[in-house]
Amino acid sequence: MYAIGYHDAGTPASVSTKSVRVEIDGQSVQVPEGTSILRAATAAGVSVPKLCATDTLKSFGSCRLCLVEIEGRKGYPASCTTQVADGMKIRTQSPKLSGLRHGVMELYISDHPLDCVTCPANGHCELQNMAEVCGVTETRYGLAGVKHAGLEKDQTNPYFVFDPNMCIACSRCVRACDETQGTLALTMAGRGFESQISASQGQDFIDSECVSCGACVEACPTAALSETTLATQGQPTRSVTTTCAYCGVGCSFKAEIKDGPQGAEVVRMAPNRDGHANHGHACVKGRFAFGYATHPDRVTRPMIRKRISDPWREVSWDEAIGYAAQEFKRIQAEHGKYSVGGITSSRCTNEETFLVQKLVRAAFANNNVDTCARVCHSPTGYGLKHTLGESAGTQEFDSVMQADVIMVIGANPTEGHPVFASQMKRRLRQGAKLIVLDPRAIGLVKAPHIEADYHLQLRPGTNVALINALAHVVVTEGLTRDDYITERCEAASYAKWQHFIADPGNSPEQTAAATGVPAALVRAAARLYAGANNAAIYYGLGVTEHSQGSTMVMGIANLAMATGNLGRAGVGVSPLRGQNNVQGACDMGSFPHEFSGYRHVSDTTVRGLFESAWQVPLESEPGLRIPNMFDAALDGSFRGMYIQGEDLAQSDPNTNHVVAALTALECLVVQDLFLNETAKYAHVFLPGSSFLEKDGTYTNAERRISRVRKAIEPLAGLQDWEVTMRLSRALGYEMNYRHPSEIMDEIARLTPTFTGVSYEKLDRLGSIQWPCNDTAPEGTPTMHVSQFVRGKGKFYVTEYVPTDERTSSRYPLILTTGRVLSQYNVGAQTRRTANNRWHDEDRLEIHPDDAESRGIREGDWTGISSRAGDTVMRATLTERVQPGVVYTTFHFPESGANVVTTDNSDWATNCPEYKVTAVQVARVSQPETWRARSIAARQRPRPRVTETQ
Amino acid sequence: MTVRLYLPRDAAARSMGADRVARAIDETVHARKLDLQLVRTGSRGLLWLEPLLEVETPRGRVGYGPVTIESVASLLTDVVLKGGAHPLCIGLIEQHPYLASQQRLTFARVGVIDPLSLQQYQTHGGYQGLQQALRLSPADIVQAVTDSGLRGRGGAAFPTGVKWKTVLDQIATPKYITCNADEGDSGTFADRMLMEGDPLCLIEGMTIAAIAVGATQGYIYVRIEYPDAIRTLREAISIARAAGFLGPNIQGSGKTFELEVRCGAGAYICGEETSMLESLEGKRGEVRVRPPLPAVEGLFGKPTVVNNVISLASVPVILARGAAHYRDYGLGRSRGTLPFQLAGNIRHGGLVERAFGLTLRELLYDYGGGSASGRPIRAVQVGGPLGAYFPESLFDTVVDYEAFAGVGGMLGHGGIVAFDDTVDLAQMARYALEFCAIESCGKCTPCRIGSTRGTEVIDRIMRNENREQNLVLLQDLCETMLQGSLCGLGGMTPIPVQSALQHFPEDFMRTRS
Amino acid sequence: MHIDHLVKMTNEIATFFASESTPADAPREVATHLTKYWDPRMRRGIILHAEQGGAGLSDLASSAVKLLVMPTPR
Repeated sequence: MYAIGYHDAGTPASVSTKSVRVEIDGQSVQVPEGTSILRAATAAGVSVPKLCATDTLKSFGSCRLCLVEIEGRKGYPASCTTQVADGMKIRTQSPKLSGLRHGVMELYISDHPLDCVTCPANGHCELQNMAEVCGVTETRYGLAGVKHAGLEKDQTNPYFVFDPNMCIACSRCVRACDETQGTLALTMAGRGFESQISASQGQDFIDSECVSCGACVEACPTAALSETTLATQGQPTRSVTTTCAYCGVGCSFKAEIKDGPQGAEVVRMAPNRDGHANHGHACVKGRFAFGYATHPDRVTRPMIRKRISDPWREVSWDEAIGYAAQEFKRIQAEHGKYSVGGITSSRCTNEETFLVQKLVRAAFANNNVDTCARVCHSPTGYGLKHTLGESAGTQEFDSVMQADVIMVIGANPTEGHPVFASQMKRRLRQGAKLIVLDPRAIGLVKAPHIEADYHLQLRPGTNVALINALAHVVVTEGLTRDDYITERCEAASYAKWQHFIADPGNSPEQTAAATGVPAALVRAAARLYAGANNAAIYYGLGVTEHSQGSTMVMGIANLAMATGNLGRAGVGVSPLRGQNNVQGACDMGSFPHEFSGYRHVSDTTVRGLFESAWQVPLESEPGLRIPNMFDAALDGSFRGMYIQGEDLAQSDPNTNHVVAALTALECLVVQDLFLNETAKYAHVFLPGSSFLEKDGTYTNAERRISRVRKAIEPLAGLQDWEVTMRLSRALGYEMNYRHPSEIMDEIARLTPTFTGVSYEKLDRLGSIQWPCNDTAPEGTPTMHVSQFVRGKGKFYVTEYVPTDERTSSRYPLILTTGRVLSQYNVGAQTRRTANNRWHDEDRLEIHPDDAESRGIREGDWTGISSRAGDTVMRATLTERVQPGVVYTTFHFPESGANVVTTDNSDWATNCPEYKVTAVQVARVSQPETWRARSIAARQRPRPRVTETQ
Repeated sequence: MTVRLYLPRDAAARSMGADRVARAIDETVHARKLDLQLVRTGSRGLLWLEPLLEVETPRGRVGYGPVTIESVASLLTDVVLKGGAHPLCIGLIEQHPYLASQQRLTFARVGVIDPLSLQQYQTHGGYQGLQQALRLSPADIVQAVTDSGLRGRGGAAFPTGVKWKTVLDQIATPKYITCNADEGDSGTFADRMLMEGDPLCLIEGMTIAAIAVGATQGYIYVRIEYPDAIRTLREAISIARAAGFLGPNIQGSGKTFELEVRCGAGAYICGEETSMLESLEGKRGEVRVRPPLPAVEGLFGKPTVVNNVISLASVPVILARGAAHYRDYGLGRSRGTLPFQLAGNIRHGGLVERAFGLTLRELLYDYGGGSASGRPIRAVQVGGPLGAYFPESLFDTVVDYEAFAGVGGMLGHGGIVAFDDTVDLAQMARYALEFCAIESCGKCTPCRIGSTRGTEVIDRIMRNENREQNLVLLQDLCETMLQGSLCGLGGMTPIPVQSALQHFPEDFMRTRS
Repeated sequence: MHIDHLVKMTNEIATFFASESTPADAPREVATHLTKYWDPRMRRGIILHAEQGGAGLSDLASSAVKLLVMPTPR
């Protein structure tokens, strides 16, 4: 069942630019060539009965309801599978057609339960609707015939039910799994009347290859596949269009709501087919895992305590905010104005982020503001700004559909960015070539109907050596696009880079010792990339979270420039952002050295603009970054911190160091949905509001600004931006916004790339990709089209410098980290949903050879020690990792993955080197002892949260 | 001097004991120290005479059949080995009326040669078509096939040359030649006989097709129920490849064509060309929507020739003897010959290759010799399980594509199944729907649900439950399936039902318990 | 500030510019980077460390730090 109120056009839109004119039921309509008659009819306002057709899937022609008559042609072709031709005259209604449709509907009804009233799809069921349209109220075939009845429901998936009794065998679910999701988990088993949907090899949904994206559920016209909530909560009555709060794909959803005596409740998150980032697709997180928003763990009353060893005390908003403000003022009075700061979150809206950094700059009067993007994509900002001129990805997601070669570096799209991965897989199935640079055999390396042409399985930490080797081949084999370089890039920087990269030291043969990648493979991959009409690079945290993260981003930009792969659709350099608003948080001036729109605080003109808008003098020197704050906290020059929506204690590296720093603070204010790990060291807890409870905007990985709209009232009474506003006022700096739209208006006034953005325009266009201003009033899908933002593209010399984190006899393995589809980041949200069904613990992936030499078997507890700390985790033996490399996810706090990660960071931005940690792994017989030791080490003061009042 | 004997290795002959006979011959030869050579061939198609033993004599091959193990001893005598008298003797085989009156172009070598002897194949005119094709331009080969008037022998009767032209005109590569050998129609066996009896002829035809359209890879999709054909084809392919008739640089021409046998998995629907392509791709055998035509986007989305075995096996003779030679057989728009297969309740079941233009009655009586039971033939079903049931009044219909269409029938693959006057046409109509229910791929609604509901409706008619209303419902259902189905299976299932209703209404009025 | 961290970070920045820039320009580039991205108290820390001999600083890092203007105490 698709989103309520959606009007389905029947078949996908044709992309042809040529148009044809046809006549449908006497009405003339002009449509693109290649359009189906069914879609053309929709365009003409004519509704043709249909069941197997839907506008997200290729036409299939199986239901035989959409039959039409075409003048001059024999028979009754299906309008979904027949394309329009110029001058065609079509009739969609005639006594003959009515008879045929009636005949087909009678057959459907003869094999379907007739208890519509108690059906979860009642009123939204397409079969029910079509029966009415075709005038079928009963079936002459009677009730005595064989039927699909009494079949057992599959209720193994926590989010949806498969009821084979309701199935009409239209294959929409199978096709959605194939075409939309690309998992191919579903099939039609049996044949003829016995045809029925089967997950994998006749397995239960939960045990099958199903990734629970919900595409099948969305596609189902009946209640054969329906959300569990439709049965438990009842049907929604209205919806608001909003944006997913999980990953950086930024899927658009219809939050479907039922108004009841307890107020509004969200029944379903239905993917929005008009969503520009997702085109109606979704994943197991955004689609189903929204229950955390109303989880009992939600803290809905503000709390304070004097010392972190004290129990929490629930207080009023005024008291909590007043106490926090008073403490910050006291600290600033005692230790200077630079002794406090704030952290914005990539999970919060642009407006909230903007307010937090404004609070720091204007109310704290310093620049000690940073964002969690520090620890993920700060090198992207640095690297792309320096080479191309803008700290953002160059493409829109749809661009991938024009890419001929796709290079994925240090990203795992099928787990981390599943909806975009599905689009990418669609392009790969169409024949685009794939190059994967990853230490691990990620899902894309071999998937149904997809196989990477080259998997360069490098050793963690040798990215720069590998990108240099690829560029070396391009330059020395004459594969550069010289005309492009001459026209668009700085000649001097290119000459210098060319000389550097051509050095034999950068050749695949010489770098192979470091990277572990055979030279022939590197050469072949480089030729494939450089030889493509359109080659596109997508990368993730496997690029940025290294000591040379920024260097690697520059290396990627160098390669793309040298091969002319920037500035049009189908090419580009696209960072896949981990969290929903990483791009936005960076855009909004969350970094200590720059205002919104990436303008340095030392720029007097820009600063003057903000000073006059904000009516306050502003600091011209950069402030502290997150890791610097920790250091400063330990040396006593930093004592107070306001953290919105970020769990530093779990997500930042070297937990022991982080905990020591947090413990040293005199006032830590945490604003969050849950009492997270960081809150253990907090003095003030301000309840946050989930994305369902507020208005605002998120900016996804393709610079797309999309609206977040309030679906239910904030559980704690206030939206996050209101809390920040109150705190600012309490600090003595007045903020008066009546609605987040006013914050966006201010952002637009102060930020050149946002001048054209407004809520009114977002409502009108659905979403906008910045830059949006007078030159691009409707936004910018592709950047650097006629020239680079910085003018000429600049090549940087990217010398490979091995990380300090090296293996030794004591720490012989390299640990690298990643994520899994069902869980999100530190798991605060997804762990509080049924997504744990798929992943309920972090495991250590280890190669069977390494496991064998250590006596480790599948499922054994292992102790992992690094130079920074120890933790325990169970082992999974897999050849996805290479010998010498171990891998884990970091979704569960008890795993303590960050206890072992070190202080090493990117040279330019201090983005932590999460991806490379030298470790030793040993089988442990008593995990609890080990765990106790590691927990004790990181959580010296660990007060219990106690209920008061 | 060594005497040469011939005995079929064809599956029909084997099912009648040909292998046991061969073993008995071997044993007797051994025991009596006879100077004999036994050559295993395809079947001549006189199936009631199988196993049919032939003795080579200076006058020609003399036939004895049906041979039993018991009769072997009496057959391996000096008299018989010179072609002499014996109770089983049928005389010179070529002069047997069943065979003498046939016009064997496609089946010229079947039953004559050792199917796996390249030398015999070439001695009997094999590979002359390919040699000719290699001298022609691709367009000229296509033109020759077009000029021959050859139409698809699988049943759809689409002009083969036109199909090839479409594939030739495509720029996409690679291109494929696929042979549809999923011979699933009841009462048909021509494809099997050809593949078992003259596999090189099919291989040659496919090679010519490949050269004509620029294809480099071919697949023969054979139903798994034909293990002999599969084995024979695979051996023949390796023989042809070893001799440079397949593979890279065919006969030094620089052309490449590789050929592979793929097996079906027991689904009738995979004889429908788009389902066959799905199956060849390793997918569920399910009908594809057309357009795009397979000639444009076929196997793996590439331009593909899909032809039936007989269509492809008719190509070598067209090239070898010229389009006009082939075209001179037949009449109207039905040119050349068609291998008819006589089956069911018929005395002389077998294969009859004749030019179009004779009547059904000639086939049934002159060749078939009437019913096997000796009772009057009441109905015949032509063209497989989805063909119309013809009453005696239509037996004089001239056999050509258009004449058959004119009386609501179709020639299909040339299978003719006879029924005597004990047949119950209501049961046969029910059988058509049941067949459809069993074999439906399940994709489209009229076929998936309609076939099952149809059997239930006929059951009610036969039980006289609301007979009048159910007869109306059955007609309505036939119309829904006929006009509404996605492919020929659902779309043609009503043909036997409607013909039964039309020509044998009385059978639907009898009440059965 | 943790002086070991500051020294390590400065050296790493210097390493990048050592190859990216020319020997003549590199110290200025490193100094610019520190000025643009480092909180004044960090720059103060590294300057004071350099003044006390700059143990652990690479040559390029040392000459870059020498170009820094001492931020006013805060």
